[in-house]
Order: sequence, then structure tokens, then C-alpha cells
Amino acid sequence: MSEGNNNAAPAPVQPRDQVLRVFSRYPSALLLLVVFSVEVGVGMFVIRDVRTASVEAQQMYARSVLGLRQIGELQYQAQETRRSTLYALTTNDSNLQVEYADQSREADRRVTEGIAEYLKQARMPNEIEVGRGLQRDWSAYLKVRDEVLASILEGSIKEAVDMDLNGGVPSFERVRQDLEDVKRLYDQQASDQLARVGASSRRSVVRLVGVVCFTLIFATFSVWAIQRSRMLGAVQFARLQMEFVTSISHELRTPLAVIRSAAENIADGVVGGKEQLARYGSVIRNQSRQITDLVNEILLFASTRNRNNRYTMRLLQVSEIIDVAMENTAELVREAGFMVERHVEPDLPCIIGDLSALSHCLQNLIGNAVKYSAQTRWICIRALLDEARIPGNREIQIAVQDRGIGVDKSELPHLFEPFYRSPAVASAQIHGTGLGLPLARSIAEAMNGRLTVESKLGVGSTFTLHLPAAKQKQPLAAAGARGRDAVAQK
Amino acid sequence: MPRAMGRWLILGVAASCLLGVSNSRARAGSTAPNDVKPSEENLAIVVNTSNPVDNLSMSELRKVFLGERRHWPNGRRITLVMMEPGQPERKTLIREVCQMNESDFSQHFLHGVFTGEVFVSPKTLASPVGVRKFIFNVPGAIGYVRVTDLDSSVKVLRVDGHLPDDKEYSLHIPPAPAQDQ
Repeated sequence: MSEGNNNAAPAPVQPRDQVLRVFSRYPSALLLLVVFSVEVGVGMFVIRDVRTASVEAQQMYARSVLGLRQIGELQYQAQETRRSTLYALTTNDSNLQVEYADQSREADRRVTEGIAEYLKQARMPNEIEVGRGLQRDWSAYLKVRDEVLASILEGSIKEAVDMDLNGGVPSFERVRQDLEDVKRLYDQQASDQLARVGASSRRSVVRLVGVVCFTLIFATFSVWAIQRSRMLGAVQFARLQMEFVTSISHELRTPLAVIRSAAENIADGVVGGKEQLARYGSVIRNQSRQITDLVNEILLFASTRNRNNRYTMRLLQVSEIIDVAMENTAELVREAGFMVERHVEPDLPCIIGDLSALSHCLQNLIGNAVKYSAQTRWICIRALLDEARIPGNREIQIAVQDRGIGVDKSELPHLFEPFYRSPAVASAQIHGTGLGLPLARSIAEAMNGRLTVESKLGVGSTFTLHLPAAKQKQPLAAAGARGRDAVAQK
Repeated sequence: MPRAMGRWLILGVAASCLLGVSNSRARAGSTAPNDVKPSEENLAIVVNTSNPVDNLSMSELRKVFLGERRHWPNGRRITLVMMEPGQPERKTLIREVCQMNESDFSQHFLHGVFTGEVFVSPKTLASPVGVRKFIFNVPGAIGYVRVTDLDSSVKVLRVDGHLPDDKEYSLHIPPAPAQDQ
């Protein structure tokens, strides 16, 4: 819904292009988000793999290296058990013999505990079998060892030696063989674990390469999409500019043609009489004013695009803004035969803004309401305080409502785009530049506010200017238009 | 007020003087040699926990410790465990069980081994812990330790049906003579 004439109907927008257009609004942030998300995903994936490999390596170390150390300790303590027993043979001193027996028993206690620990950790059936065999053979050896020790302590050395040779040596040999079996089992498990860690590492590398390739493809596609959306945006903008130039040319050509025609008539002496001359003068004045208004709007829009544009900000009463806007549009409204209702809540807080800019913003909204109201010549201007927002951030809402042709839902997102003109409006030969609403929104945003629209096709539209309420008190004692009043203009 | 404080001060001084006198008397009394008699300690006869014998009469015990008995009822060879000469436990056993003195005891074993009348030569250990460990390791060993040196690694034998905790138990280690300061 905007002003100006545009004969060229805009090209239909493809859904894919619509998506890309939305995507193109914040391309860098989106790309960053996408890359960040993918990087986080890849990072988590890699960390998971590395942790898995680390856990496997730790398990391998714990089970193999520590297990081998445990078996080494068992072998040493078993040898120590036997060695201490045999040391007792080398002396006749009962005190020393008792000491050696004590050492032997201490070593055998450690072996027994070590075997129990091994059986506790054993999970595989072959581990349990070997462990139980070791436990059985160790108990058998200890029985012989006890008899040998007793004989040594009794002083029966020959008997002790015979017992050791016949029973001790074979049973200890079996224990030694069992320990070798356990060791061999650990070696085998370590080899298996190593193979598993290697396979896991290879899997991790393959996954990593896959994920990196995916990331690369995804990033490439993202860049392509962004570039394409930018290109589409540029094409769209160029098209809108061309439409704008065409529209402006048309808007300028019509009043210029009228002026030129009137001037030629006067110059050719076709116009006779004072009354007719005055009528021609009035036509020329009206047309030139229309051209001036058009040029002013274009310049104003251009100035709002410039960020260095400075407004004269001051405390304003809401009724003051509405008064100025209504005053400036009074002639337009009167000529069009509209009724304007005005509802302003009493004791509204002030706002901070530029009076000229805000009244211009409202004028644009009132002008649009007049232009697109069709047969229903009714406009309502409401001003109220919205307390429902965040405490301390109160908001003034100034709404301009009409019962005109309304806007289709699909067109609402484009309504505030510069140079945009609805195909329905263009085909209905309603003139406009496509700058009125973008200009109004620019002004609203420059005043720290916003402009919203609610519209239904065939029912009407409501444009609402939201402005933050000032915390300062009213600058003036009383405003002219206080309270809920209704002014009807005809 | 000052008068009352003075009374309390005099009372306090008098009380502390009385306490000081009574303490010094008590200290003097504690040094008297015959006021408190040290308690006697019993000597326990111990064997390996696998030994089936629970009770020995004094005469059987004497035969065992004099090496006149060779085997236990389960067939295990008897091994005598003695502490080193001079130990109160050894003195008590030789006196009460063998009814000899140290010299007679040594002579008995020298003579017995030479003539073949004695089958077992005693093992000598330096400490009660050594005795306990020896008995723990040798199923046929028998020895003795103070009641206070007992633990669960050995089994205590009844003597004439009495354990060392019983009143009628006959093996007491006399207290060591007090040393002059």
C-alpha cells in the first residue's frame, strides 16, 4: 500500500527466493552461526572419538601393563616364599629359623591376596580357569611348604629336604607354570587390545575426514546461498529502483504536461478574461505544489537513510503531534470528504521526539488512509498508554485506522520495503512512490519507536506508531486537546 | 567488705597449707616397700592349634618337658620349646614342672641324650613371640609363655584340668625382686 503509479507489474517471487531473501537479511551472522554450530558438532564428535580412544588405551594399560606388573609381583613373592623356606635350612638357630618362617608366611600371604585380586578382576572364562588353577596349585604347595617348615624347625633337616624335593619342587613348578600361563594370557589380551585401539583410531580418522568433508561442503553451500541471496537482493533492488524511476517520471510528467499546456494556452492568447486566467493560475499552482511535495518526499526519504541526519529532539505532548498532523492534512481530508474521529486518553505522558518528523510520519499514515479508503470515508486516530510492557518502559501508541481496501497477508512483510508497491494497488491506478511507509518507519525508528500494521483485505488497516513514554513530566501546564474527545471533520 | 575479703584470704591460705601437708605424707607412703604387693602372673602351657590334646596332668607334663615322651596321641613328634636360661618363665617351668634347678635340667638332657633315655632335645628361643611363632609353625611343638603374652595363634593346655585363669591353677611366675633405688 503506497503512493505513485506503476504500470509495470512486479515479477512473481519464487518461494525459494523468498527463503533466500529472508536468509539474506543477516547473512554474516547466519553463516557464523552455521559454521559455529557445525564446528561445535565436529568438535563434539572428535572429542567423543578421542575420549573413546583414550578410555580404550587406559583400559589396555590398566589390564595389560598393570596386570603384567601384578603377575611380576606374584612371581617375585612366590619365589620369596620358597626362598625364605629354604633359607631356614641354612641355620640351626631356632630364632633365625622362626624369622625365615615368618618371612615365608608373609610372602605367601601376599601371593594369596594377589591371586584373590586376580580372580576378582577376571572376566573371561579362560582367565577365571587359569586363576582357579593357580589358586589350587598354590594351596597345594603351601601344604608342602608348611610340612617342610615344621620339619626344619623340629630339626629334621634330612626329612625336610626329602619332603621338599619330592613334594615342594613339583608343586612349586606347577605354580610357576600357572603364573606363566597368566602372563601369556595378559600378553594375548594386550595384543587384542592394541589391535582394537588401532582399529578404533582408524575409525576415528575416517569419521574425522568425513565430518570435515561434510563441513567443507556445507560451508561452500552456505557461501553460495549467501552470494545468491545477495545477488537476488541486488537484482530486486535494481528492479525496484527502475520501477521507482518509471513511477517518478510518470508522476512528474503528468503535472508538468498540465502546467505546460496551461502555459501554452496563456502564451498563445487562448485564455481570455481575468477569471479564466485566474483559473489557469490556480491549476499551475496546484500542479507545481504536487511536484514540490513529491520532490520533498523523495528528499526526506533520502535524508532518513543518512545516519548523520539530526533531529531536534524535545519533550512533546501526544496531542501536539496529532494536532499538527491533522492541521497539515485538514485540506486533504476536507476535499476528500472524510470523517476523522480522534480519541486521545487523558493525562498521557510526554514523549521525546522531533515534532516535524513525527507529524510528517502521522501525515503519511493519514494520507494513506485517505488514499486507500475507497468508498468508506472514515478515519480514526487513537492515542493511548500501554502499561503492559516491561515495568518502567511504558509506551505511547498512536494508531491510524481506516476501513479501506486493506492489505493481503502475503504482502504485509514487504509493506515497509522502499519502492515496494502492491500489484493490486498498481493495477488499480492508485498513484504513489513506494516511499511513504518506509519513510514513516524510518522516522519511528529514529525516535526509538517502531511502526506496526494490522490489516485484513477488504476490512481495513490499522497502522500504529509505538513511541517510548518520557520519564519527565509534561513541559506545559495543559494541552489544548485533553481528555477523550471526538472531532468530526467533514 | 574489706574485712570479709580478709577472712576469705586467711581461710584459703590455711586450706592450701593443709592440702600441702597431706600430699607430702602421701608421697612418703608410696615409697614404702611393703605397702603394695605386686601380683603374680601365671604361666600358660601352649601347643599348636592342630594338637588334639587339651589337658595334661602335672606328671604327664613333667614327662613331656623332661623328654621322656616322644609322640602325641596323633602320632606327631613332640618338639620342646624353651626360653633362654635365666628367664623367669623358664625358671618357673623347671622348678614347678620338672622340680629341678637349671643345672639339674641341663644335666638331665646331656645325660639322657648320651644314654638314649631322652628322645627330644629342646629348642631354645629368645622371646615369647619367637616361642609363639615356633609353636604356630610346628604341629607337634609344646612350650610356655606368660598369660599376658598369649594370642590366638596357639592353644592353651589345661594342667590338671585347670586353665591359667582358674584359681586352682598351679603354675605361677613369682614376681621379680624389687630393685633398690
